[in-house]
Amino acid sequence: MRQIRTFVLTRVFGWIGLISIGGGRAAYFHDALVVRRRWLTHEEFLQGLTLSQILPGPTVSNLTVALGLRLRGTAGAACGALAVLLPGALILLALSALYFGGGVAPGVGVALRGMGAAVVGFVFVTTARLARGAMRGRGAPWIAALAFLAVGPLRVNTLLVILLAGGLSLWLNRPGRRGAKHAA
Amino acid sequence: MSHLATLGWTFLRLSLMCLGGGLGVLPEMERQVVSVHRWVTAREFVDGYALSQVTPGPAMLVAVFIGYRVGGALGALLAGAAMFLPTSALTWAIADRWERLRGRPWAVAAERALAPLGTGLMAAGVYTLARSALVDQLTTAYAVAAALLLAGGWLPPAAVVLAAGLVNWLIAR
Repeated sequence: MRQIRTFVLTRVFGWIGLISIGGGRAAYFHDALVVRRRWLTHEEFLQGLTLSQILPGPTVSNLTVALGLRLRGTAGAACGALAVLLPGALILLALSALYFGGGVAPGVGVALRGMGAAVVGFVFVTTARLARGAMRGRGAPWIAALAFLAVGPLRVNTLLVILLAGGLSLWLNRPGRRGAKHAA
Repeated sequence: MSHLATLGWTFLRLSLMCLGGGLGVLPEMERQVVSVHRWVTAREFVDGYALSQVTPGPAMLVAVFIGYRVGGALGALLAGAAMFLPTSALTWAIADRWERLRGRPWAVAAERALAPLGTGLMAAGVYTLARSALVDQLTTAYAVAAALLLAGGWLPPAAVVLAAGLVNWLIAR
């Protein structure tokens, strides 16, 4: 199950990166690495996913590094991350050059207005789906509402909110707290 | 060169604020690149995010789009590297040790404590995008229709987003 060849890993990760357009990317990784190839167990996958969500940084790149490292060490992490990031980065670079260079036909601008609006619906659904599993801790709905109000409508500095609301949430969920369901 | 240094530093800080995904950092990113540094307009910001949604790779590649605006290909490389490299290195350094640490009470507590914070930040990201992208009844209708289609799981997200673009283009003709 371990020590997948670097070339094979790069090819598989690159393919996942290419087809996983528009979010829910962790699901594509799960399908390709756990369900179809059995390179990882479900438990190993979840472990990597949780870590990549807790650590700072975009989840997809963190997940790629964590899974690549497990499958093929440092080479797997580096090649996996590059395989997932580079194709999209090059395509977006070309599109950026067209967009800012004025090479975009007026019709594309109109299309982008429609696309931007649809993206709002999409990220709304993604957030709602993830919200359900995220509400297990003490005071979780209040922490979520506080973070939303402060960063969204009130436009408070995000780092400040992370430090204050995160600190409050960690304190509420501190280990050994009486009534904490997860006391070790 | 100083604007490139500012660019790299800005995206490095933004990457460290990505908690539970990139969506949560959008409000701060918009504040920085639209209001503070005025690198792009609010409209361009939404356009760039929409493009990053319909192209392969994580949506945080929007850093490439903004970096290109500031400093061409070099700016794109710098913003992209600042967004992905340091945090990837951090994951690389911790992932092996995590197997031993994850059962510890404080690790379980951190997971439970940070998850709702990530959700709140993501919701703020939705709000920030909506404020710029939903400008009239038609665009609001696109968002609602897209949400319904995706909640049902009938079509992949990229297909829904591209379809909305096509419809808007056909209507405007």
